[in-house]
Amino acid sequence: MERSIEETDVPIIQIRHLRKSYYHGKLVALDDVSLDVPQGQVAVVIGPSGSGKSTMLRCLNYLEIPDSGEVIIDGIALAHASRLNEVRTEIGMVFQQFNLFPHLSVLENIMMAQRIVRKRNRQEAQEVAEELLNKVGIPDKAGAYPIQLSGGQQQRVAIARALAMQPKIMLFDEPTSALDPEMIKEVLDVMLQLAQDGMTMVVVSHEMGFARNAADRVIFMDDGKVIEDTTPEELFRAPKHERTKEFLGKILH
Amino acid sequence: MLLDRSRFRDHRLSHSERRNWRFMLTLIGALVLFLAYFLPFFQTRIASAHTTFIEDPAVTLEFPVLIHGQHATHAKTLGNGQLESVEVSLEKVNGVASTGWGWLFRSLGAPDRGALVSFIVTMAIPLVGAALGALLVVRSYVREAGVAEKLIPASLIISALSMLSLGFAWCHQVDFSTYLYAQSNGALNPGIGLWTAVIGAALMTAGIWSLRHETRRDLLNWWSLAFVVALTIWLLIRVRPYPYLEIWRFIGDGILVTLRIVITSYGFILLVSLLGGLGRISHNRIIYGISTLYVELIRGIPLLVQLLFIWFALPNMFRAVGEATQQYPAISAWFGQLRLNEYTAAVMGLTVCYGAYGAEIFRAGISSIHRGQMEAARSLGMSSFQAMRHIVLPQAVRVILPPIGNEFVALIKDSSLVSVLAVSDLTRRGREYMARTFLSFDTWIMVALCYLVLTLVSSRIVEFLESKTRFER
Ligand SMILES: Nc1ncnc2c1ncn2[C@@H]1O[C@H](COP(=O)(O)OP(=O)(O)OP(=O)(O)O)[C@@H](O)[C@H]1O
Ligand SMILES: [Mg+2]
Repeated sequence: MERSIEETDVPIIQIRHLRKSYYHGKLVALDDVSLDVPQGQVAVVIGPSGSGKSTMLRCLNYLEIPDSGEVIIDGIALAHASRLNEVRTEIGMVFQQFNLFPHLSVLENIMMAQRIVRKRNRQEAQEVAEELLNKVGIPDKAGAYPIQLSGGQQQRVAIARALAMQPKIMLFDEPTSALDPEMIKEVLDVMLQLAQDGMTMVVVSHEMGFARNAADRVIFMDDGKVIEDTTPEELFRAPKHERTKEFLGKILH
Repeated sequence: MLLDRSRFRDHRLSHSERRNWRFMLTLIGALVLFLAYFLPFFQTRIASAHTTFIEDPAVTLEFPVLIHGQHATHAKTLGNGQLESVEVSLEKVNGVASTGWGWLFRSLGAPDRGALVSFIVTMAIPLVGAALGALLVVRSYVREAGVAEKLIPASLIISALSMLSLGFAWCHQVDFSTYLYAQSNGALNPGIGLWTAVIGAALMTAGIWSLRHETRRDLLNWWSLAFVVALTIWLLIRVRPYPYLEIWRFIGDGILVTLRIVITSYGFILLVSLLGGLGRISHNRIIYGISTLYVELIRGIPLLVQLLFIWFALPNMFRAVGEATQQYPAISAWFGQLRLNEYTAAVMGLTVCYGAYGAEIFRAGISSIHRGQMEAARSLGMSSFQAMRHIVLPQAVRVILPPIGNEFVALIKDSSLVSVLAVSDLTRRGREYMARTFLSFDTWIMVALCYLVLTLVSSRIVEFLESKTRFER
């Protein structure tokens, strides 16, 4: 991307009046969502099931194409981007179900996209991969296959795989909700580290500990709309909306 | 199968177990078999035979090695008359030449390829059996992990076959002929070496048989079935060369034609299937429509009808187009010249038909890969082509391989239909031979056995490839 954000002060993610519906408009998943995320911010998105959190996240890199509205990443409007693949390399995505490539070893999982998208040679790609495996704390699993890893290890590989493209933005869609409790921490630690390093992150997660420690901002969604958008302190102290209160009551017991 | 898997014992061999009688029996059997080849096998051989017929002139045949001439039947066919007498001239074989090794090496220099196959079957199989049996024992001793269970099925089959082989060796010596045997007055009876070898083979077989519960593999696998069918062909050719050797020679080139057509078509079929399968999952309506139409139409028409259409109707269509476009000489001339030879037509017909079935297999295989794989790849910035090529297809291959491999086996069988297009494949050669001789039973038994060998071997290869592409470990 040619334009650098520090100079221009424009938010790195801009969402304008996003609408998305399924079944020919019968099911509205996103209803006029607008949102700005400046560089370096960590935004946590919460909300009940079916409220459109995943849909919004997937619209951010156009895995889901919105019906109307605009997504502008680093100054480039995705709807008009003839270079969608190029923009996507700037946006790492981590899925609830990990989605590692089962036919490739851990190292190859991390190297594959570097080699064919970033066109790095084998040695370069391997160096990057090894360094990232170190960073996520499983340098000894380089030769293993995804099926041989625990869920927590798989998710950390998935994070490393996304980071290998050196993205400016990381999207997480419930990265810990398919994990056993004892593995959640190892993944959250990696994400926390990433947040401290200044990565711009949009995280769909109900891990309130993570929201409290790492988030600059918490966004509550319901019914395809953004209901509340505030700081974590504010949210936990005094949620403004009745629905937010109700929801927080459910997840915090 | 012969093996009851529940009885498989999964533990290491204790020290005393390694020295138990099962291993001893196997090893001693192998050694006896091996050493028996140093003893005399046959000390007399038939050097030539002189056959007289009641009406026709006499026939004399020379036999350079172990006999490979089918004297009696051959002489009968040549003379075409009533057999009066057969007189054989015997020759002493002494010293090293009379031992198993002597016969083996003499035979390996056999004058023709058919003879060579015979000698490998009769003289070399027992030695291979002995080597496998010995290897089984030695590896079981050396390795920490227990019995070399992988070797058990193969060595059991080969060592059982070697008893049969040694019997064949003797039959060879008298040319599968009771005439010649009677003439020799017992001089052709086997020597001490052959009997010792049979005893060795029996001991070894018993030893390995007693080890059968140590393997989790099927004792009778499809390789050995293919081998047995091939052996049956060999035996028919050896024991009754008329008509089987003649049939074999007649249809032999048909086997090559069948293989050539099948392999060429299969290459095209894979290509068409891939494109068709991708078309069937395409979001582009036109591409989706065309490929769906292709699949649905072609699967509804019998292969035989498609072949007949391509062979008989297509050239007429070309001609008609050529005539209709006479105002454009270039196009007209091109269509006028267009000819299909029978080989191209056959490959075309098989490709079009099997491509439609293959497209469905590819479609199912590709759609069985979880959507998340494509999404993960796209989110990393791969183009949809790159994601398909590097992420989805390599995984889909594992799903696709078993059914597409079965298609190969089915293709071998269905390729017999191209015989209606004047292609000289295995089936057509069989029909030609039958039309000539009216030997319907013998011809079709031979043709069927040839197809069986082809299909059994290829199913096995498919299975092997499947096991290689599994990545969950
Ligand atoms: N591909 C799709 N086809 C049809 N409907 C869909 C599709 N994806 C999402 N939806 C619907 O859109 C709505 C929003 O879905 P979304 O996955 O964004 O919710 P969510 O907030 O992520 O929920 P959860 O917490 O359960 O993941 C839901 O009603 C869902 O059923
Ligand atoms: Mg979701």
